[in-house]
Amino acid sequence: MIERTPILNAVTHAVLVISLLMLLLPLWIVIVAASHDFHTVNQVPMPLWPGGHLLENLAVAWDKGNFDRVVVNSFIVAGGVTAGKIGIAALSAFSIVYFRYRFRMLMFWLIFVTLMLPLEVRIVPTYAVAANALGPFQSILNFIGIEVSLPRWNLLNSYSGLILPLVATATGTFLYRQFFLTVPDELTEAAKMDGAGPLRFFFEILLPLSKNNMIALATIMFVWAWNQYLWPLLIITDHANYATATMQLQKVVPASHVDAPPVWNLAMAANLIVLVPPVLVTILLQRWFVRGLISTEK
Amino acid sequence: MEKRVTFSNTWLAVALILPQILLVFVFFYWPAGEALYWAFTLERAFGGGNQWVGLYNFTSVLSDPKYLASVRVSMLFAVCATTLSLGIALLLALFVDRRLAGYQVYKFTFFLPYALAAPAVGLAFRFIFAPDAGFFSAINDFFPGLWNPAFDGTDALVLIIIAQAWSMVGYNFIFFLAGLQSIPRSISEAGAMDGAGVLRRMWDLQLPLITPTLFFLIVINVTDSFVNSFGIVDITTGGGPARATDLMVYKIYNDGFQGKDYSLAAAQSIVLMLLIVALTFIQFRFVERRVHYS
Amino acid sequence: MVRIEAPETQGARLRKLAAGMIVGAAALGSVAAANAQERTKFEFWYGLPGQLGEVVDKHCELFNASQDKYEATCVGQGSYGKAEQNAIAAYRSNQSPTIVQIFDAGTVNFMLSGAIYPANQFAKDFGLTVDWADFFPGIASYFATSKGEMWSFPYNSSTAVFYWNKDQWAKIGKTKAPETWAELGSDLKALKEAGVECGFAFDFDTWLNLEQFAAINGIPFASLDNGYGGLGAELLINKAPFVEHMSLFKSWLDAGYAKIQTPQVGKTVVQAFADGSCASTHYSIALHGTVKSTQVAGLNWDVAMLPVLEAGKRANSIVGGASLWIMQGKSQAEYEAAAAFLKYVTAADTGQKFLSENTGYIPATKSGYDLLKSQGFYNDPARLNRDIAIASLSVAEPTALTRGIRLGNFTSIRAELRAELEAAFTGQKDMQTALNDAVDRANAILRRYEQTYQGAPLP
Repeated sequence: MIERTPILNAVTHAVLVISLLMLLLPLWIVIVAASHDFHTVNQVPMPLWPGGHLLENLAVAWDKGNFDRVVVNSFIVAGGVTAGKIGIAALSAFSIVYFRYRFRMLMFWLIFVTLMLPLEVRIVPTYAVAANALGPFQSILNFIGIEVSLPRWNLLNSYSGLILPLVATATGTFLYRQFFLTVPDELTEAAKMDGAGPLRFFFEILLPLSKNNMIALATIMFVWAWNQYLWPLLIITDHANYATATMQLQKVVPASHVDAPPVWNLAMAANLIVLVPPVLVTILLQRWFVRGLISTEK
Repeated sequence: MEKRVTFSNTWLAVALILPQILLVFVFFYWPAGEALYWAFTLERAFGGGNQWVGLYNFTSVLSDPKYLASVRVSMLFAVCATTLSLGIALLLALFVDRRLAGYQVYKFTFFLPYALAAPAVGLAFRFIFAPDAGFFSAINDFFPGLWNPAFDGTDALVLIIIAQAWSMVGYNFIFFLAGLQSIPRSISEAGAMDGAGVLRRMWDLQLPLITPTLFFLIVINVTDSFVNSFGIVDITTGGGPARATDLMVYKIYNDGFQGKDYSLAAAQSIVLMLLIVALTFIQFRFVERRVHYS
Repeated sequence: MVRIEAPETQGARLRKLAAGMIVGAAALGSVAAANAQERTKFEFWYGLPGQLGEVVDKHCELFNASQDKYEATCVGQGSYGKAEQNAIAAYRSNQSPTIVQIFDAGTVNFMLSGAIYPANQFAKDFGLTVDWADFFPGIASYFATSKGEMWSFPYNSSTAVFYWNKDQWAKIGKTKAPETWAELGSDLKALKEAGVECGFAFDFDTWLNLEQFAAINGIPFASLDNGYGGLGAELLINKAPFVEHMSLFKSWLDAGYAKIQTPQVGKTVVQAFADGSCASTHYSIALHGTVKSTQVAGLNWDVAMLPVLEAGKRANSIVGGASLWIMQGKSQAEYEAAAAFLKYVTAADTGQKFLSENTGYIPATKSGYDLLKSQGFYNDPARLNRDIAIASLSVAEPTALTRGIRLGNFTSIRAELRAELEAAFTGQKDMQTALNDAVDRANAILRRYEQTYQGAPLP
């Protein structure tokens, strides 16, 4: 399709470039901070241009953070969370949108409300669940008087402990619901007419159509899981085996209100290291964005 | 919103939703239930003492004028940050979707802010917004004393709104772009045949088709700016000056997580949850009516 | 066919790889198991992040290398706040570490918790010979019960000192740091007249502005001996000395003698001092080394004890930092290991000397200090006068008003005080009103705490 819109194109380019600069300004500052020595980075104002210590800082930060080991863990965890969320959320949204049963909306709201209470508020009891994931069921059994003792399932210091609690949120379910609602009913009718059951319809028609949203969700969830800090720090004490990359930031980032020297150059270098894998994954995933194939027009 | 055509196998429906419900029950409702129960008691940090006090925690929270001020600030923050972030992200997504030269680069660079971890954001913002030495100090060269988030509450609020909007632009952008790319080219082409210009097609064709995404993002952004903004506040203003940016969730974080007053934090969490549920309900009731599903 | 085969071969390769990894892991595992049989392991959680956390980690490694019976697993929690929070969460699920590092403000929570093994009892039970009298009284009293019993082991200690720029003071013909706040006031006026843009940098920190001020001048911070006498204490910082002191700061600010320096403004007080833009400030001694390493070239500066209200009337300043607590409910073997560890990291040579050499913290005991002095540690030009902090902490035997501050939920109280100071210094309220409001709000927090811990006597 060829259209001539020179003024609009100029405006488009201008807006995109200016936004790019503004959105990336903080990142630029991180790179600059990561490229100076300790003395220079603590000058006020900090220099605006990178210095010559970037590689050296990256090397030191890499070493301190033990990144060659922990990056693998982070990939396992972020990958697991992403896969889990994409799958489980699609199933639950399918159930909510394409079936009619009592408590359907209640289920949706039950899932939805989980967005509304941050981990910080429920950290003590959530830890207790991680220490014994079957604990809630045991309590229920005890309460109704059934004397069965379930085994103890300890999630501390394990990949399941890092992954499972993070899979339990609502963003994905809500997103799929939004998309499923836009899928024309004609498709469902046609599928039913062809004798396709719900599962076949789900896997062969609905999921392929959801590809773009699934990729967007995967991108977000991967980065989100990758950047989790509080939960891994809490449940992982076996740092040698289960530490994640973002956790390592505590080894370099000076916290406020502590008598710590502000080694911002190393801290920012470590941040850059931690930033790279999710960015690569993002670039990779974005390549799979595809133009829509079916018309939603009736 | 209801589908006209549905399947009727209820057992299957239950099986499909069960994994999610189980996870949510074990890792959210069970622990959250215990934490929220503390709102009606005085819970000791290490346990071991737990007196039932009824609504005492709620009355002490709600009778505190500083808390009511914090509710006001939180609402203002949520509305402004959501509007700003969604506006920018939508504009960027529409423009990137035009696929002019360089769009492949924009596609992932606009997302970068979301991927940056909190400590880096904190340092960068400190540098950008500092009235003495940062980028914004240029404002003060022209209008001395105009920008000072360290001493001026309004400036500080502007700062955290910009910071939150900035951090969410990447998130919103990705979903908008996914939505736009799902629109079949044929629709746009048909519009062009009818003689509609680019801007008109954006407004008349593309926008209505991504209203489901827009609605999703409005709800998520409003919720996120109420629930997850304490990180931004903590690394930029610390709630100050003089509580001007003491958002509800930041106060919860301080009272509960830092101060170990679990009961007070629980009471505030319930207030916050009720507020967000009400807001979300309103959005589903009134905003979703204007969403164009199919 | 090819298309079906390809994934299969890949799968086979993966399986082989996995099998190899399992064998490798098993081999590693058996080595580890052999070690574990010989060594008793226990966990130590610490809050210090960044470079300081690395020093703690190194301390653990040194301990592990120093003997072959015990092994400390040291886990950084990212901050003091998280270390306390996580230790609480873990304790409540019977998963707590054996030792945990807790900052000054968390002391009272741990004393009331019923979750800890008091240090003095622990030392007795596990044959740890500790000369409690060897600790500097100013440090010991902060972490001790009201009866003077030590329930935790002081680990990293600091206090506040006055940082001053000797070249700037030379401009007004002085070679000594001001001894009183009034003298600082007149010095600041003279500095201003001599063309110094910023004579003094301060922020809204209550530890510096109010807590140290109260102790050094022997003014009660809270009733019931600053809270040592029980949970019924009330704040007293709206009394005249505090109001006048803070108003003095405000008048310096208004007259352009002093500046507020916070991260939000663009630089902290330490940065403003180290880059030469402010001629003096008050801050923790722990950043003595940082000032040295970040200062502009040629900055000629020194540290002195904080100014007092009345010349010649000086009490001890109070300590900052953290101490090590032992948690309840661990096995006999773990406690034995923990005892060896505590002995190692608090000893004069393997403990305090190591910490002092690698951080800005000061030794906690007299013998630690004597050891460092005898080795000429403080003669190094980079550390010259750093021991002024020790002098400041032990200038006199601590009294009921200077041994420390023991208030419930002190973190939230500090936040309230800070917010009111911000309100006063930004001109929203006058100082008296702000401090009155601060006291009201802090007292409400204290009453909540008292009610929460009803029937739990403060030791």
